[in-house]
Amino acid sequence: MVLGFTMVEAARPRTRRPAPPPTPAKEETAEAEVSQTQALSERAVRLAEFYRGKIETVPKVPVRSLRDFSLWYTPGIAAVSREIEHNPARAFDLTGRWNTIAILTDGSRVLGLGNIGPQAALPVMEGKALLFKYLGGVDAVPLPVDVSTPEALIETALRIAPAFGGINLEDIASPKCFQVLEELQRRLPIPVWHDDQLGTAAATLAGLINALELTGRKLSTTRTVMLGAGAANLSTVRLLIRMGQDPHQLTVVDHHGVLHADREDLDEMQLRNRWKYRVALETNGGGRRGTLAEAMAGADVVLAASTPVPGTIRPEWVRSMAPHPIVFALANPLPEIWPADARAAGAAVVATGRSDFPNQVNNSLIFPCVFRGVLDARAQSIPDDIVIAAAQELARYASMQGLSDHHLLPTMDEREVFPHVAAAVADCTVRLGIARVRASREEFYERARRLMARPAALTEALQNSGLVDPMPDEPIPSRKHR
Amino acid sequence: MKRTNAPGSEHRAESRESSAPVHARPARESDIPALVSLIVRLKRLNEEFDPMLKVRPDVDAQAEAVLRTEIKNPKSLVIAAEGTGPDQDKIIGVVRAAIRERTFYTPETEGVILDIYLLPLYRRHGDGRYLVEHTIQQLKERGAGIVTVEFPAQNEIASRFYAKCGFRPITAHHARFV
Repeated sequence: MVLGFTMVEAARPRTRRPAPPPTPAKEETAEAEVSQTQALSERAVRLAEFYRGKIETVPKVPVRSLRDFSLWYTPGIAAVSREIEHNPARAFDLTGRWNTIAILTDGSRVLGLGNIGPQAALPVMEGKALLFKYLGGVDAVPLPVDVSTPEALIETALRIAPAFGGINLEDIASPKCFQVLEELQRRLPIPVWHDDQLGTAAATLAGLINALELTGRKLSTTRTVMLGAGAANLSTVRLLIRMGQDPHQLTVVDHHGVLHADREDLDEMQLRNRWKYRVALETNGGGRRGTLAEAMAGADVVLAASTPVPGTIRPEWVRSMAPHPIVFALANPLPEIWPADARAAGAAVVATGRSDFPNQVNNSLIFPCVFRGVLDARAQSIPDDIVIAAAQELARYASMQGLSDHHLLPTMDEREVFPHVAAAVADCTVRLGIARVRASREEFYERARRLMARPAALTEALQNSGLVDPMPDEPIPSRKHR
Repeated sequence: MKRTNAPGSEHRAESRESSAPVHARPARESDIPALVSLIVRLKRLNEEFDPMLKVRPDVDAQAEAVLRTEIKNPKSLVIAAEGTGPDQDKIIGVVRAAIRERTFYTPETEGVILDIYLLPLYRRHGDGRYLVEHTIQQLKERGAGIVTVEFPAQNEIASRFYAKCGFRPITAHHARFV
């Protein structure tokens, strides 16, 4: 998909960002990592207690006197309801539905914490809502629900849909998440997204597009090894193949070794995880068998989203790859191999999930933009081509700023990238014929830029006026004394 | 229950045989090791559906013994399915079936499909369906007027598959541990 788009080139001279000096090997010992994480965790708990929630509802209309309520509420509002009753699509013009999404979770796989349930998932969903608003200008409602089956989760999503312009599924266990996403995408007339599958996959693809570019490779002839067969990697497989990866040059490895069609556990897989089963048949291990070490020999790329244990990928396996290999070690909080070790073993490009190393593969660069784009275009769905368009735009933006082995992807500080990705997404929905709002890419860009800039200004205004308490220093005062 | 063959269906079955990526033939002694592994895969799959179908530790030996007997037994049918093309000499599937007499019902001769297994890579291309039709034909030639099939009650994939092949439930087989 070639995206003809010249606005940015015209607006901004092609200045090559100076490559940051190679990060000194700041690969702390496991203990240092632990104590750092612990300090952060303790502060997060104290701050959570200080602020008691991260978002609130705020009126967005003027209230000059209580008389205005007769317009915002009864009796005036009845006419607005009647109009929607006659023409349901008007809900997107007459209410906040156009910009409001649900962050729906059953709490069955929250971060790395596992099945902690809906109540304990709430802080994470609140945080996600904050990111949605701050980065994407999207009003997101945290909605952890108490359900025990995928069917009940699907049913819940169908029932709440009238209030929302889109649904972001979050932290749902695999393979249940595939069934829920597929069925909701089929049955709902609004965009449904599962960030753990699609957001991570899109960010990974964006990084990979540029890593291939940097090392002079074509996806169609690249031999790729994927470590891990969870939600993100299985989606990445599907998108990679759609983008031109030869499935026979793709080897997926899980904790039993190479995934291939003759494996003993395939019948069970057909019953329990038909998505993984399909990948096993489709890629068939590229004719390969055995362990990760065997799969990596001669490979161009390894994309790992597996176990957060450095050493899961060994330097000697990187050494056995094709010349100038690409290593993505995306496990969090610890990568499968430390970047310095991968580089010492010959890796030409290394990416991780962490912000303290170069080349962070970060889904926060994707989900605010995808929702901004589909909401602005009032798209009916989010097909895979949209996910790919978002990845390509993110990659294109980074490459415009100057590609290097330390600058594969934009960082979160490069805020200008967000409306570009949103506009690419909206534009793609128009081309696919699923947009209910038609506008030019430039118009979508302007709208996204405006809507994405507002929350930062709002937050700043609230902080400056003292309506939001300034970030307290340690020790954080307890609420009782304030 | 009597089904009349649509005109030309015999012919279609034959032409399917020549174009099918699977080639079905009577099993031979030399096939037994390959067939054992397929039968054991199937039994282990059945175990997934129900703890009442937990496989015995000596399942391999049992499968081998059963196959050795059945290959020679005129009342049994063991079919080996071979691949075609590059997989020509590879055994990719197996069928075990038997001829039984029905004491109280007609038709008096029943063909029972006991096990059908096709390796995952060769599914989804209509080969399973072909194997079923081929087996039915073989059982018919041995006098069967009705063909039945046994599989775990919880196996909905099999249930849907056989429904598509024209089968419906006639008896129920319930169990309890004692």
